[in-house]
Amino acid sequence: MANQNNETVNVFGAKLTRRQLVKTGGALLVGFGIAGAGAEFWKNRGVKAAGSANTLDPTLPGSWIEIHPDNTILIRTGKSDFGQGTTFTAYRQIVAEELSAPFEAITTVVMGDTDRTPDGSGAFDFLGRGTPNIRKAAAYTYQALLDLASQQLGVPKNELSVKDGIVSSGGKSISYGDLVKGQQLKLTIPVSGSLTSIMGLTVTGNPPLKPVSEYTIIGKSFRNTVTTSKVTAKEKWATDVRLPGMLHARMIHPKTLGSKLVSAGALDKTRFPNAQVVVKGNLAGVVAPTEWEAIRAAQQVAGGTKWSEWKGLPGHANLHGWLRKNADWTTTKVAKSDKSRGDVTPALAGAVKKFSATYELPFMKHAPIGPTMALADVRPDGTVQIYTHNQNPQALRGEIAQMLGTTPDRIVVRTFSGAGHYGRSNGGNAGAEDEAVILSKAVGKPVRVQWMRDEDFQWSTQSPAAFSDVQIGIDANGKMAGYQVDHYMPAMQDDRPVGAVLAGLPTMAPPNEKAEFIGSTVNGLSDPWVYDGVATLMERGHGTFQVGQKASPLAIGIRDHSMRTPGQFQQNFPRELAVSEAAALAGVDAIQFRIDHASEERVIGVLKAVRDASGWDTRSSPRANPVSTGVTPVRGRGVSVMFRSGTYWACVCEIAVTPATGAIAVEKYTIAVDPGIVVNPMQLKRQVEGGAVMGISHALLEEATFDESGITARDWRTYPILKMADIPEIKVVLLHRPEVGSYGGGSEAANALAAPAVAAALFDATGKIARRLPLKPEYVQNLLKT
Amino acid sequence: MATITVNGARRDIQAPGDTPLLYVLRNDLELSGPQFGCGLAQCGACSVLLDGKEIRSCITPVSAAAGKEVTTLEGLPARWAQQKGLSPADAEKTLHPVQEAWIEEQTPLCGFCQNGMMIKATELLESNATPTVAQIKEAFTTSGPSPHLCRCGSYTAIIDAVQRAATVMAKGR
Repeated sequence: MANQNNETVNVFGAKLTRRQLVKTGGALLVGFGIAGAGAEFWKNRGVKAAGSANTLDPTLPGSWIEIHPDNTILIRTGKSDFGQGTTFTAYRQIVAEELSAPFEAITTVVMGDTDRTPDGSGAFDFLGRGTPNIRKAAAYTYQALLDLASQQLGVPKNELSVKDGIVSSGGKSISYGDLVKGQQLKLTIPVSGSLTSIMGLTVTGNPPLKPVSEYTIIGKSFRNTVTTSKVTAKEKWATDVRLPGMLHARMIHPKTLGSKLVSAGALDKTRFPNAQVVVKGNLAGVVAPTEWEAIRAAQQVAGGTKWSEWKGLPGHANLHGWLRKNADWTTTKVAKSDKSRGDVTPALAGAVKKFSATYELPFMKHAPIGPTMALADVRPDGTVQIYTHNQNPQALRGEIAQMLGTTPDRIVVRTFSGAGHYGRSNGGNAGAEDEAVILSKAVGKPVRVQWMRDEDFQWSTQSPAAFSDVQIGIDANGKMAGYQVDHYMPAMQDDRPVGAVLAGLPTMAPPNEKAEFIGSTVNGLSDPWVYDGVATLMERGHGTFQVGQKASPLAIGIRDHSMRTPGQFQQNFPRELAVSEAAALAGVDAIQFRIDHASEERVIGVLKAVRDASGWDTRSSPRANPVSTGVTPVRGRGVSVMFRSGTYWACVCEIAVTPATGAIAVEKYTIAVDPGIVVNPMQLKRQVEGGAVMGISHALLEEATFDESGITARDWRTYPILKMADIPEIKVVLLHRPEVGSYGGGSEAANALAAPAVAAALFDATGKIARRLPLKPEYVQNLLKT
Repeated sequence: MATITVNGARRDIQAPGDTPLLYVLRNDLELSGPQFGCGLAQCGACSVLLDGKEIRSCITPVSAAAGKEVTTLEGLPARWAQQKGLSPADAEKTLHPVQEAWIEEQTPLCGFCQNGMMIKATELLESNATPTVAQIKEAFTTSGPSPHLCRCGSYTAIIDAVQRAATVMAKGR
């Protein structure tokens, strides 16, 4: 039997216990112990409390990082990759850097699976303003490794140095692998939060972090390893998962967003002998052994299914009038920004020049290129396995547990690669998961639900529509003396699984004024103010229920969900376009006007960088002799700025508009990005380029149309997105600023910057201001006639 | 029952003849390259080469592929090896230049559409070894049943990768 020497070491507030095992017949594969059972993290969302028997213990760094005796390293994160690539690149760089180990030593990245990752939360804010969980976990681990090495080598900790995973001092050295060989080590680190909440758990405490000046791994363009497996068809996508005995399913959703089931159609058993219809409340589905039979049988059954009629939506043409006049803005508490200051009313009243205007945004779709799908296996003992592609698997686990009236420890969610969701599933569900569970439970077999393209447009959530009223006053010096904005937007985060709602099964409440944070109708201020030079400021956010939510007998209406730069897109478009208008009113160049009102050096820095990189010529807008008629394209330029997740952004769009047709072509898009430390230049550049393209698509094309009954966008013809032929020349300027000492996010913001810059460019070219998105030809053509 | 040739191998298909080729490839032949994106030939995620021409497998009945040669993403390395007359040993460790370029340029973001993008690039480069940017844009936008759509916005990276692949292919490796 082994002799055990137990000892405990304090590691910056974490506790390291070490038991040395002798003659155990071989090294332990895991250096830092993994405990199967953890504390209870199920407080949020009305989920029943339960032990998380199949979840890693987040208080143990072994749940985050494994150092193996062969010097390879495994990392785990609850955050799944949705195309950001961060977990495969930046996370490995961050961990390797904190550990002073080679990037290549991190051979395995485990993401998202609820039974194999420790922290939960969603596929967003990966870099956590410079200190993501994995960085702190690595920092604690590094300190523990130093303590071990200090003992092993008999050298004080502060005399040790580490390079490439080898600790050395005065001629003596030992590798990380040798340090953990034959050991069972337990380091307990502090965490807070709730595993199945949208934000998940947070590693707390302040372990020493590696000084930026010593970085050798962060800042290099390491490749994304998953790219190779995707490009060579080796990647296992969620769409590839198959289980023995699995049935394919297609859903039959209600005719409208308020229709109840009158009667389900009868299945034609002669044509579809192997199919089966499942009805639960107002939800129906058809399962069959082959996908094609499921599709055709579902079409046949849907044709004979009767629904009640419902008309309770304003229709997209009446949307903003309806929002202003008919939506209830009084029940929900009005939010006010932290930066609001001074008395804006007299400042506006006393201004030399002033204007007030309303800005309007439509509903937009996340529109993943692959419709939502999931495979669920509800077993006879009541345990559930879900195979999917989801931005927040732990939250999904809580939602499924709630739907089934069971505890989260009965649910396991495994995640795989899939189409980008852009925020749609960061609250835990994308649409198909709960439906797959409902059908699997009903038929007693694994069921794979694949939504069709039209369902994905019509039954998924949208980025909420919004409008904002802005007033700006300019003083005698041509500066903004007062800025007032009232933002109006329906609730943005409806995390209820829609299948559960339709089936009449338990879910969290629909968005309401009493909910805290998630599920609240409060419209918080999401676009940090960057113009500190404005003397008086009032920013308010007004919230309400989702459109149709109260009127629909299903309590559904037009469901919303955060989309890339959530809320901030809706608030930045009015702000940045209005500031460009204010600059024009003051007769000052739009970039110089912004610089004149900014005090933060990094705001000014991105503005100057984008000015230089775009070849901007300094003058006021509109250009001399703006043209708003004719068949000859007219050119103009516009600028926009944003601060988000620790990163400063500025973009310049140059457009050509043909007044006679209203068609806008974005010809050049220049963007400057200052995230502080650039972790991986190549990956960041690709992210920014992608965001730029999506942003131009939002600006020019995207609107989720709807009538009185539901969403009418149903495919890529009725919801067009930008095509390759329509992309501009894109120039990305990365500002690497190690002195900032932290790294900001890079996957969001580029998508939001185009819209106000393109609208400002249209104004620059034509002298006419378009304050509504999208800037479709018909709208622009009519606007230019006025 | 149809017999089709997929990536060089003859396959007997049990599925009904009206089954879209995509479901046969994914479910019966367990190929994971082509993806279901729309089922309407509007996005290109499901593209494969049929006798060298890009088609949308989501709307092509398997019966229409009978007696023809289907190449999927999985089959691109062998297609290139055959075109170049590489030895089996060399072929084993060789990717299609399009795939290599996609890796070099770090083209995919989520990557769900990239199967179709690489199929389209292969078709383009087999007929035009040195496409201009305008020709690349034309190929991916107007040459097929629909534009090839990327929601993540990787078009710039695709153009970079097609140009890189063209250079590699021109050198003949």
